Amino acid sequence: MSAADRARDALSRLVDASATERILISTAALVLSILIGAVLVLVAGRMTTCTAGEAVYYLGMGFCYDPVVVFDRLFLGALGDPFSGSWSPNGQFAVTLRETTLLIFTGLSVALAFRAGIFNIGTQGQMVVGALATALGVLWASSLVSGALGTVVLIPFGLLVGAVFGGLYGAVPGLLKAYADANEVITTIMLNFIATGVALYLVSGIFKDPESAANQTVPLPEFAQFPALLFGGRQDFSIVALAFGLLAIAALYYVLEHTAFGYDVRTSGVQPEAAEYGGVDAKRTVVASLTLSGALGGIAGAMYVMMVLGTFQTGIPSYGFDGITVSILAGNNPLGVGIAALLFGVLKSGTTVVQFATDVPPQLVGVLRGLIILFVAMPEFFRLMARGLPGTGSKSKAVATDGGTAGDRGGETDE
Amino acid sequence: MATAVHLDGITKRFPGVVANDDVDLEVERGTVHALLGENGAGKTTLMNVLYGLYEPTSGEVRLGGEPHVFGSPRDAIDAGIGMIHQHFMLVDPMTVTENITLGNEPRKWGGIAIDRTEAREAVVELADRYGFDIDPDARIEDVSVGEQQRVEILKALYRGADTLILDEPTAVLTPQEVDELFDVLDELTDQGKTIIFITHKLGEAMRAADEISVLRDGKKVGTVDADATTQEELAELMVGREVLLDVDHGTAETGAVVAAVSDVVVENDRGVRAVNDVSFEVRGGEVFGIAGVDGNGQSELVEAVTGLRNPDAGEIRFGGEDVTTASRRQRIDAGMAYVPEDRQERGLVMEFDLVENGLLGSQHGDELVSNGRIDWSKTRGHAEAIIDEYDVRPPDADSDAESLSGGNQQKFIVGREFERDPELVVASHPTRGVDVGSIEFIHERLLELRQQGVAILLVSSKLEEVQGLSDRLAVVYEGEFIDVVDPDETTEEELGLLMAGERPGDDDGEGGTKATGSESADETERDKPADPTDAADGERA
Repeated sequence: MSAADRARDALSRLVDASATERILISTAALVLSILIGAVLVLVAGRMTTCTAGEAVYYLGMGFCYDPVVVFDRLFLGALGDPFSGSWSPNGQFAVTLRETTLLIFTGLSVALAFRAGIFNIGTQGQMVVGALATALGVLWASSLVSGALGTVVLIPFGLLVGAVFGGLYGAVPGLLKAYADANEVITTIMLNFIATGVALYLVSGIFKDPESAANQTVPLPEFAQFPALLFGGRQDFSIVALAFGLLAIAALYYVLEHTAFGYDVRTSGVQPEAAEYGGVDAKRTVVASLTLSGALGGIAGAMYVMMVLGTFQTGIPSYGFDGITVSILAGNNPLGVGIAALLFGVLKSGTTVVQFATDVPPQLVGVLRGLIILFVAMPEFFRLMARGLPGTGSKSKAVATDGGTAGDRGGETDE
Repeated sequence: MATAVHLDGITKRFPGVVANDDVDLEVERGTVHALLGENGAGKTTLMNVLYGLYEPTSGEVRLGGEPHVFGSPRDAIDAGIGMIHQHFMLVDPMTVTENITLGNEPRKWGGIAIDRTEAREAVVELADRYGFDIDPDARIEDVSVGEQQRVEILKALYRGADTLILDEPTAVLTPQEVDELFDVLDELTDQGKTIIFITHKLGEAMRAADEISVLRDGKKVGTVDADATTQEELAELMVGREVLLDVDHGTAETGAVVAAVSDVVVENDRGVRAVNDVSFEVRGGEVFGIAGVDGNGQSELVEAVTGLRNPDAGEIRFGGEDVTTASRRQRIDAGMAYVPEDRQERGLVMEFDLVENGLLGSQHGDELVSNGRIDWSKTRGHAEAIIDEYDVRPPDADSDAESLSGGNQQKFIVGREFERDPELVVASHPTRGVDVGSIEFIHERLLELRQQGVAILLVSSKLEEVQGLSDRLAVVYEGEFIDVVDPDETTEEELGLLMAGERPGDDDGEGGTKATGSESADETERDKPADPTDAADGERA
């Protein structure tokens, strides 16, 4: 067996792995990435200088950075130190959940498109559009209502505005793909730039808060923002937003698995020819799924404005792009998106904790984070990619046999 | 003359199907040997065994008397076997030279760089030796299909092939290119190469080959000398004298016109007219069959009727409505069931289990879905009923479609479509790859539907199937209906000739048959008896 054959073989094993196997593979990947990260921390620790008191000793050798502390801070720190007795809902754990909430929406956005066979790189742009629209819409509406009633009315209203505008912005590449045969990867990337550029233009011009030096809109009134139930308000997290996120996970799962629309989406995603045969309108499905995907991205933007910033400001962090990784990590399964978003949230929030607690340079923490994501995402990524390759798993074509033996596909490889 | 290739008792089993059953084949060095048979007869499988793509379940491959075991095509190539597949395996943006030398490039600078000059020289020399007219610097995407085929042949020769296997080489060629190909084959055999040539076209086999071996249902039914046989004899060998499935056809009350196709023109993916001005009607309670060699426009016609392809001219009416441009969904809703030709691309979602596949096409109906919500328990029951009634194995609704054998996939699709309570069933090769017992069952169900007044449009390249089931039978050749006949009044031989493009009452063979060798058939002694041993080989198990 040549090396190429072995590689192909390994790939098909990945592609054909069952759900349990996939969880095992992911866990093993996580452990492996931590081990490799630990070695990196140790090596980096040998290459820097520190006083003897600060050093940590393993196997008789002194190291400046301690991988145990690093990973302890990265994970337990991100959870707000649940075993230390000083856990507070207003601490780092809230930051983790905040990040998780936003990533749930961008992750779901990417996952939905992926399930329809569409690579939506435009979640970031859809998020920007949704965020700006929400800020402007809620600002306008906040003059009409106020107080507790305002909160009850404005939050759903803001989310709706974000969803509608994000959805419309997602429909653009959908229409272009369906009716002009434009590749969605290109169009969504372009539309990201357009969204950022237009938002900057508007917010530095007509919608700019005259009292602020930053390019931002007038801040939303307090009642138009997510209430800080249970978790205090210090970390800009609201359990209500997370509840919406969990609801979105359940809803998307239900739509994909239990509705005719979801069936159309999934069929189009895995086998467009069979979908066409089964009466699925390919164009409509493309537009519908990108619109829905954009709406989820828009909601992420609305959350960011109404929960985190309280205003729209240019330079929205790259939640949209992180959503791609979250979705791949989750195998594009809505339920998996919840878990992947939590892991991602932990890593994001843990990074800051590590920086506070140790001398480890932030770049190295970034490397550790990247390693973990790379390791955990790679098997899923290969699964996705391998479906397009000949000779691996499900999509492989049988070698031209006469019709009678076609059931044997997959067992043989083309040359 | 020495034997170049000797296959001895090759048997190849796939789950549920015996593709090759104890096949012996001897090919003389320096000759063209045609492997003739219907679709699904096992020709390609047999050659894939020789080419190392499949390992035979039993039997032996001998080359020049030496036994060989091929683990992969690489081994077969090393032993001097070359195969030119029906679909070329060329890299379009690369040049002819690059494609021919790909993987075996002459090296320079101690092996780190490709010696382009030497590669080009080698290709030119090779082309000269065999009299190939080819531009070594042209890009594959810029040259004609015939030239691409010659590049494939040169590639095999460059790798040192002594025996070339050509899988349906004429299927993609124009008549002129076919002539050129046959000249090339002559040149190759003159220089001592051995050619095995897979085909289902009688005329071509007779024209190009020295010897012809006929496969039927995975068994070899005879080898004849091309100069001493007739098209009639070959057709008989190919189809088999005794019709296996003598369906009690009976008669049904013919009702109103359900589907009407008038003056329809359909272009294929390459923009060539695949269906040319075809008109026909299918009535309720009637099986309208379309016979013809694969690739004569049947697929495009069926796709136009079922809504997967837009006709370029003409009108299609279904149940009194004009559905020429109606969507698939509208046609499904209106009661059109469709067993597609390509079950793995179209008919089933390979990654889905059978429960989910049972829903395909019904997801917009109201049987299994209400208000857009799928009733999975009902859907499961539906799938299980199909599995049960159509004997799908393994009988497990949770198994993925891709894990099923081809025949069982087909049974599931047929079941799903037949149970749709349709007005019209369009069945394209409904029993392809299905085992004998299930063929019978599918045929019975088809006739039951007819009895219930359903209109049936049946397309099959199996003559016995279309002939046995149809009430009226159209024969299609190069996108046109050559004739519409009463299948009970027509012999298989007559049908075979119609399928080869000979129009009725067109005895001297000028009826537009540029490609097939009707002339050579006329020249040979038609009444010369076949080798008696062939008749003995010809019996079915």
